[in-house]
Amino acid sequence: MIATLKDMQEQLNSAPHLVRLGRLFSETVLLGIGEDEYYLTFDKGQLVEVTPGPSRKTPYRFSFHTDADALERFWQPIPVPGFHDIFGLVKIGRGRITGDILSLVKNLRYFKAFMALPRGQRRAGA
Amino acid sequence: MSIEPITGRYLSITVGGAARRIYFEEAGQGRPVLCLHTAGADTRQWRHLMNDEGMTTNHRLIAFDMPWHGKSLPPEGFETDEYLLTTDAYIETVLAVMDGLGLKQPILAGCSMGGRIALQFAALYPERFAGFIAIEASDFQPAWYDIDWFHRPDAHGGEMGAALVSANISPYAPEVERWNTLWMFMQSGPGVFRGDLSFYTQDDSLIARLGDIDTARTPVHMIVGAYDLTCTPEDAQRTADAIPGATLAVMDELGHFPMSEHPDGFRPFFVDALARMPKARG
Repeated sequence: MIATLKDMQEQLNSAPHLVRLGRLFSETVLLGIGEDEYYLTFDKGQLVEVTPGPSRKTPYRFSFHTDADALERFWQPIPVPGFHDIFGLVKIGRGRITGDILSLVKNLRYFKAFMALPRGQRRAGA
Repeated sequence: MSIEPITGRYLSITVGGAARRIYFEEAGQGRPVLCLHTAGADTRQWRHLMNDEGMTTNHRLIAFDMPWHGKSLPPEGFETDEYLLTTDAYIETVLAVMDGLGLKQPILAGCSMGGRIALQFAALYPERFAGFIAIEASDFQPAWYDIDWFHRPDAHGGEMGAALVSANISPYAPEVERWNTLWMFMQSGPGVFRGDLSFYTQDDSLIARLGDIDTARTPVHMIVGAYDLTCTPEDAQRTADAIPGATLAVMDELGHFPMSEHPDGFRPFFVDALARMPKARG
């Protein structure tokens, strides 16, 4: 998973429109995938650090928890209903959001676009 | 170069004793179909059907922007008003538009909150319509989000609203129409989406009325997209089950804004719905 996240980091940081969308977003997000945790540190729209957890000492603005199977389905080029959006995962009980949800909502387009990056890559057949 | 057949004009009506300037569009001739847009959007959601010659040869499609939406102005004094749509105001507005346009027993087609109010009309004013097409409509949907997120001074409600409702758009939707659909939400005036959601997520008065709907007199056909997280096929099925004689079609590859997000995918379902409607009574 760390390789995928690093790849997402590279895609995000080389997408000027996404960096511009996230220009006011400088926060740490906890991404939970099953038992694994990753701290994603964003700075002015760039993802500057991906740090595997767990860590009780790392503060984060909000978290998104899901599982590897759900994420795999989420990243399919054409996901099935419910797996097509992070809020869909929450609605079908395969995702959970904690922390400052308003911070997420203010940056929702940006964060959704970041989370869906592997889907775009698979659509392109990469 | 081409000029579309849609024409737009303005209509002055009175709602709640106060003037409203309503923008409406129409195309085609024949059996009238009054089309209601979703929360946070406007008539542009219907433009594909209104530009569809196969649709407009035998149907006069009419859509209007609700007050506060699109090119319809908010009421005078809006600057000190809090916009909160109610069932009563919604009904009064639709009836006033129908009277203003001289529409006799149109088919009423509404999506999302437009579908909700279509079902309210089916229960309360069936004699005014030939039939009802309720798209992405259900008896009641409590919010799974905080509607106050979408009207605050420190963030752009339209951009947040668009990001939220993108959850309801199917991955089968062409990218250009996905973003044209979201653009309407991005353009929505401050507090308008929130005010619509207040009606959509807090007024549960339809539930008790569903059993009163007489589909033998005025048919009710429902259509729902499998990718709709807000009104799921299960929500629509529950609602259809409570209306004796109502029919339901599930669109496997569409979401909450079918006529707008994926016009080609939606078209056969709308054609089928219209075929289920009777001709207007004399």
